[in-house]
Amino acid sequence: MDLSQYAELFLAEAREHLSACNQLLLEWERNSAAREPVGGIFRAVHTVKGMAATMGYVRVADLAHRAENLLDSLRRGSAAASDELLQLLFRTVDALERAVELSVTGRERELDVAALAAELDRAGSRVAPPPSHGRGTPAAPLPPSPAEVLPPTAPGRLVQVALRPESPLKGGRALVALRKAEALGTVHAVSPPVAAFEAEDFDGRFAFRLESDADAAAIAAAIKRAGDVDQVTVAEDESAAPRMESTAVEGGRTRHLRVDLRRLDALMDLIGELVIARGRLNELAALRRDPAIDDIAIHVSRLSTDLQAEIIQARMTPVWQVFDRFPRLVRDSARQLGKQVALRVEGKEIELDRAILDELGDPLMHLLRNAVSHGIEPPAERRRAGKKPEGEIVLSAVRERSSVMITIADDGRGIDRDRVLERAKREGLVDAHAEALSDDQLLRVLARPGFTTAEAVTSVSGRGVGIDVAMTRLRAVGGVGHERYALPLTYVSETVELGAAPTTTVEGRDAIVLRDRVVPLVHLRRLLAVSEDAAPPRSPIIVLEMGERRTGLVVDGMLGQQEIVVKGFDAPQGTLPLFSGATIMGDGVPALILDAGGLL
Amino acid sequence: MSDGEAVRLLIFRVGNLACAAEAATVREILPRFEPTRIPGAPAQVAGLVNVRGSLVTVVDGWRALGQPAPSGGPRDGTTVLLELDAGRKVIGFTVDEVIDLLSVGGETLERRQALPGIDPTLVRAVGRRAGQLFVVLDTDALLTPIFAS
Amino acid sequence: MSHTVLVCDDAIFMRTMISDILAQAGFEVVGEAETGSQAVERYKQLKPDLVTMDIVMPDMGGIDAVREIVKHDPDAKILMCSAMGQQALVVEAIQAGAKDFVVKPFQPSRVLEAVQRVLG
Repeated sequence: MDLSQYAELFLAEAREHLSACNQLLLEWERNSAAREPVGGIFRAVHTVKGMAATMGYVRVADLAHRAENLLDSLRRGSAAASDELLQLLFRTVDALERAVELSVTGRERELDVAALAAELDRAGSRVAPPPSHGRGTPAAPLPPSPAEVLPPTAPGRLVQVALRPESPLKGGRALVALRKAEALGTVHAVSPPVAAFEAEDFDGRFAFRLESDADAAAIAAAIKRAGDVDQVTVAEDESAAPRMESTAVEGGRTRHLRVDLRRLDALMDLIGELVIARGRLNELAALRRDPAIDDIAIHVSRLSTDLQAEIIQARMTPVWQVFDRFPRLVRDSARQLGKQVALRVEGKEIELDRAILDELGDPLMHLLRNAVSHGIEPPAERRRAGKKPEGEIVLSAVRERSSVMITIADDGRGIDRDRVLERAKREGLVDAHAEALSDDQLLRVLARPGFTTAEAVTSVSGRGVGIDVAMTRLRAVGGVGHERYALPLTYVSETVELGAAPTTTVEGRDAIVLRDRVVPLVHLRRLLAVSEDAAPPRSPIIVLEMGERRTGLVVDGMLGQQEIVVKGFDAPQGTLPLFSGATIMGDGVPALILDAGGLL
Repeated sequence: MSDGEAVRLLIFRVGNLACAAEAATVREILPRFEPTRIPGAPAQVAGLVNVRGSLVTVVDGWRALGQPAPSGGPRDGTTVLLELDAGRKVIGFTVDEVIDLLSVGGETLERRQALPGIDPTLVRAVGRRAGQLFVVLDTDALLTPIFAS
Repeated sequence: MSHTVLVCDDAIFMRTMISDILAQAGFEVVGEAETGSQAVERYKQLKPDLVTMDIVMPDMGGIDAVREIVKHDPDAKILMCSAMGQQALVVEAIQAGAKDFVVKPFQPSRVLEAVQRVLG
């Protein structure tokens, strides 16, 4: 049985269970008399063992099995969590995490866990009440593999086909092969379903049941005639279960389905196409003035909006899925530095797009490490300053309209402004005679590559904005000259007309006065070096607002408001750093999307 | 393009220059589109076009190779979609016309690089078709610098 | 008697190439079409043994042309010509009744293999 197709699923699930182990270990460390954490860790390790054994990852299963023995004794006994024991378990979880990753990439042989395994066995026999000795072999009963529990779902013989890896457009080839099979009889239960053949990453392996009088050799030969077929197996045994359906069928009890993020990306792209087609339909409806077309256009609009919302929702993932590994990280870094630090996480349930969340993990990790090493003081220094010896870091997620703000705060010594100022002077970032740094200057200095890790955050926020834009309503701004640009509506606070508000200049820049506040202007024509020179006499100004900052964008006209799909493009060198992507307008012509953050 | 092995080449004309690109890097041949300008991009970049829902950045072949502008309007000519960087990028490249698809033995190509009218670093080899010379372009060397950051 | 072929593609370049490959292998290219509707019309008129059909063509696309031709002649043997990355379109074309497909850029051997499969 070929299991490689399950590897990703195994990996995702094993990671989750091991992450839970870390949480529970931390909990146990804080409250060493508690019993529940041990039980939880035992169950998680047991599950990992079962999955690993099913996958044939013998070494992972063996390590998990030894850990399970120790944990079993612990949960039956009454031993409190000793530091030594906790260290061992932390190391075991780390080793299992590594083992899982290596196994999935086919590098299980590189694992060397003999020493750890021996240590686990020793610890196990120390804490063990005698009964657990009897079950000391790695061959403990495993859960039945998916194929064994599956009933045959359709009549006919199971046929499994693998296309040559180098074969182009495997989906099309698979369908040709299916047609050959259909010529011999009736095809049932195609897996993956034919719709999956259309996906670009379809890997060319599929299975189905064939009701036919032809013998196995004839079936295999017919299918091979489709071309590019690497392997065909036709089950002789009528009761053999189709292996490919097990992921989807996995018991009627779960209603959650794990979906590959790429599938959702593909769906998102398709919806994007749909939205574009919808735009064209709307344009056509407006042109024809036919009430019947109007009705359909409105209906299609509503359906695609709902569909889009559903898919966006499906991509949303609570931040705890990434945040949950941080308490362990903070604990480890603090221990290494001889510090005491507790991490408090707020807003765990806030949801973010999965892709953004994945990107956030590393930079947040850097920032947390930074807070532990540079922010929080050693216990003695904290006592001298009148603080409690244990420092605190708060990681919080807060939803603000269409954005999510993630903050890391610590109660440590703060940023040494004098040192930063000194360094900034040395690097020529500020005037040599400057006495102090403004907050803005401070941030700019800190964000310089090499100065701190803040550059990691900058690159992520860039991406974050880009994706945020994809899910926000966007306003198509009547461009300048014949050029059209789009602007995310999130940051548009209002529009006024040039001439309607008093104009002035601030530090040599044009500005308008809007309700007693001076708003600097940006002339889009000049900024984008538009060559045509006939600017309209009265130009609209789009006022952008982000926090306290405001900017008025002078454009030639506004074209309306519509939903668009953000697409990336290969930006040539020199491209003005003002764009967060591009989109395809209703007429099929590309338009660039202005990055409101960049303009501000 | 190792010696002796047959290579499939797409032959096309840019200005006065007969050029070739390895067919393996040619994703598609399309008509010329009206591109959307990318502010700040170098002059040889024509802009962005929509190829069935994907955005493709297009480079004007005549500008990139220092050839005279095509005599027809900007809608004349052909856009060749080329794979760069071993398929990691797809870039549009405008040419005046596509002439032929040839299969040539590696030994019939000369590793000569000095040819009037073209920067020798962009030439991978020189070949001959119907008595006329053509240059096999190093499309990566020609186009990658435009996108390098 | 050699098999007759109708070659449909909007690019002269592609039509020429396909015709050359097939002619060298002993097929008789009896006609060419550069749009989907032309392909349908020529098919009815020429009744070729084989059609090579580009997927993306102006006027009427290749897939619609397949549907029309198959409606007219359920036994029509149509070979799609596709670019990389057109998986969904190829699947649609086969569902519409095309028998097989080849992927650009073409290698003559692959084209001939596919033709043999379709005719065989």
